[in-house]
Amino acid sequence: MPNGIPGVRRGRASALPPGRVRVATFVFILAQLALLGVIIRQFQIESAAFVRLAVLTFAGFAVHAWLPLRWRLHFFVALSLAGIALVLGVQEGAWLVLLGLVLIVLCHLPIPFWGRVAAIAVVGLALAGLRVELVSVPWSRAIWPILGSMFMFRLIVYLYDLRHDTAPFSLSRSLAYFFLLPNICFPLFPVVDFKTFRRTYFDADAGRIYQTGVDWMARGVVHLICYRFVYYYATLSPAEVQSPATFGQFVVANFLLYLRVSGQFHLIVGMLYLFGFRLPETHHRYYFAASFTDFWRRINIYWKDFMLKIFFNPLYFRLKRLGPERALVISTLVVFFATWALHAYQWFWLRGSVLLIWTDAAFWAILAGLVVVNALYETRHGRARRIAAGTWTLRGAAGSTLKVAATFASICLLWSLWTSDSFTSWFALWGALFDPAPPGKNALLPVLTAVAVLAVSGGGTGGRPPAAVRGWRRVPWPTLTSVLSLVILSLLGIQAVYVKLGPAGASMINSLRSGQLSRTDMALLERGYYEDLIRVDRFNSQLWEVYMNKPQNWLDVQGLGLERFTGDFRQKELIPSTGVQTRFGPIHTNRWGMRDRDYERTPAPGAYRIALLGASTVMGWGVGDDEVFEALVERRLNESPPAPGFSRYEILNLAVPGYEPLQQLAVLDKVWEFGARAIFHVAAGRELLGAVQNLATSIIKGVPIPYPFLRDVARRAGVDEKTDETTALRRLEPYRGEIISWVYGEMVRSCREHRAVPVLVFLPHIYPGIWQQEAAEVIERARAAGFVVLDLQGIYRGIPGADLRLAEWDAHPNVRGHQIIAAGLYEAIVQNAGQLIAAPEARK
Amino acid sequence: MNHISDAIKEYILSEFLPGEDPANLTATTPLITGAILDSLATIKLVAFLEERFKITIQAHEADADHMDTIAEITKLVTSKM
Repeated sequence: MPNGIPGVRRGRASALPPGRVRVATFVFILAQLALLGVIIRQFQIESAAFVRLAVLTFAGFAVHAWLPLRWRLHFFVALSLAGIALVLGVQEGAWLVLLGLVLIVLCHLPIPFWGRVAAIAVVGLALAGLRVELVSVPWSRAIWPILGSMFMFRLIVYLYDLRHDTAPFSLSRSLAYFFLLPNICFPLFPVVDFKTFRRTYFDADAGRIYQTGVDWMARGVVHLICYRFVYYYATLSPAEVQSPATFGQFVVANFLLYLRVSGQFHLIVGMLYLFGFRLPETHHRYYFAASFTDFWRRINIYWKDFMLKIFFNPLYFRLKRLGPERALVISTLVVFFATWALHAYQWFWLRGSVLLIWTDAAFWAILAGLVVVNALYETRHGRARRIAAGTWTLRGAAGSTLKVAATFASICLLWSLWTSDSFTSWFALWGALFDPAPPGKNALLPVLTAVAVLAVSGGGTGGRPPAAVRGWRRVPWPTLTSVLSLVILSLLGIQAVYVKLGPAGASMINSLRSGQLSRTDMALLERGYYEDLIRVDRFNSQLWEVYMNKPQNWLDVQGLGLERFTGDFRQKELIPSTGVQTRFGPIHTNRWGMRDRDYERTPAPGAYRIALLGASTVMGWGVGDDEVFEALVERRLNESPPAPGFSRYEILNLAVPGYEPLQQLAVLDKVWEFGARAIFHVAAGRELLGAVQNLATSIIKGVPIPYPFLRDVARRAGVDEKTDETTALRRLEPYRGEIISWVYGEMVRSCREHRAVPVLVFLPHIYPGIWQQEAAEVIERARAAGFVVLDLQGIYRGIPGADLRLAEWDAHPNVRGHQIIAAGLYEAIVQNAGQLIAAPEARK
Repeated sequence: MNHISDAIKEYILSEFLPGEDPANLTATTPLITGAILDSLATIKLVAFLEERFKITIQAHEADADHMDTIAEITKLVTSKM
């Protein structure tokens, strides 16, 4: 292919009629799409629904490319509607289309323009009422985010263009514009401009348009895989920011998470190219911005153009009589205010609640200030622009590098403010730069910088967003990088290939092949079982997408009235003798406040009692009373006793959702009155982190701490009621090992005083997470303290997590999960019966 | 027509592309979609056109549909004279 892809040659391209493509070009593009399809499937890009949609899109392209031009828009509309039915189902899809049609019809009512705007506003308000569920509706909640993403901004652009544009109305074009094929899988969708959508339809050689689409999809996939690397391996929780290096890693990784948005937008627009929509680039090497105005121009270009069209230009042209600089400042400030307000509006349609956070407002206000200053400077002093490539000089390159580095660092810091819960937690991060800290984690800052460069430099088009077509006449660099990326990624996705990279490399590639939550988001998800989390409310968060699917009244222990406050260090307990019916079966507590059948206080002669301590999984969150692993193990022990000498086995379930190891210590005092011969403390991961979090929140909330050791730790760490949570966690973090060893030591001491066997059951989570980092240390410290350890880490091996969890948004084990735990625990008890089950006479 | 497009070309070269070879800027060189005219440059160019040719340009005309090339800008100016 001397001048590009097969069949496309300089001078010959224009010989083809609009929309026509040569067979060789078509085959070459189809081959690349086949590779893309393989990669999307191998790496599970985005979602299972997207994999199906990609197949539909690529197959649709193969037909569309050979249809007469006049049929193609109709075919695209039909394909888009089929995509909606494929993802949502026919019935829900029909509701979505019907609601959309109502809005489109309103835009074309034969009444004055402002009358139509008022009609749409009224219908919009009515829909907003339905969005917050003022009235029940016959369609599923799942269609709201998609309906919102299709219409919330595009209606504004569409109305604006109807008012100013003289192009004739085309039903197919309007339907194609609103029901854009990829939209059904992406609630976050670029704000496509209607005029550009119309103007650029097959306005260049079809082969070139299709190839640019493939290039951008390939780039999108690279962005999404780079995003996964950052998300899984580089993100830190605020409490893990312990040193200047980890501070740098935290802020850079936060900014790099934006790769997900740019990756999705590249995929979306690349797909539209396959149907002739030669739209502009959505992002352009935004990590290489050399100033704040440059950053605003390069990141989310469609949003910038939307703001320019709807707010900046109309306002500037009205205000220019005040003088260009005043008009510029006022118009720019209004643009940023509108951006902030419209993000809240967008959030409302996607989530059904309004996002109003001070850090969000501060981010946009500061960015507005920086852009205004930068724009004024550019207005007065100009900005270097070139048509042809300029001459490279060392001085010029050094100057550019410095500018890019300074802009990147500033935006990273600003971005970290945007993604912080509050100003307090953001300022607390800065403490890591000044607080004396222990040796920090191995910071990944250099690796992250390399990822940023790799992700946004591949497939570049030489400095101008739409220049992919221009670059075609010279070296088809974007195509070469696309083909190379596709071949490398499709090979890397094959197990037989990536296992040759060694254990570490193979594990990493394997992890990049699935779209799970990162360890920090998994920890947040777990924390979200018990409290509302502000940090979930972020646009670039996978966790947010999981939350988007979570029903409003998912299992809620507090809402079910199962818990009450204790006023002591345990803070809460289950209410005795109560019962509720949940969607997963009944939950009953006995007269002692245990989720268990009723027991006498004193065990019957010959009975062997085990007290089981734990949190929500042990309590049986999400399964019925008879399905909790505790009940299953108890039944099995009585059916097949592991040791002779006892007439029956009883397991008392003292678990309470949300309990951490420190609270279990307080529960022990309650255990001894029931004559337990063994204490099974179930460490379901996050023991170290949970202990530190529990101590930090107890101190901050002013909960009385009955243990002198813990009060001393708080004093040594410099944590009191006035300390913010991020700082408290950071300061207590170095003591976590000491704290857990003390807790375990106290448990073992108490057990020995009461002649009971101390047992620590290490129960893994269904999914990878922070628990894996802690496992070895927890087990080692438990053994050192004197626990008999039953390590169940391998029980879920080989079973997909999705088969064992309650739901996407709740990773507690389901019925099958409890059965597996019960089988594993029973086997472990049998194997360790000699250590665990003391003969009756031994206790006398 | 020629004097209009010459004046526009001269302004763009002197204001936004100093040092650029004039031969590189043709009547069909993409200006907005080619990232030569950003929003700030576009409003400066509009101010120049309004003052030089005594015309009024509307906000919705300051876009790639009307001002992406010197040829299109010339057409816009001519339509208003």
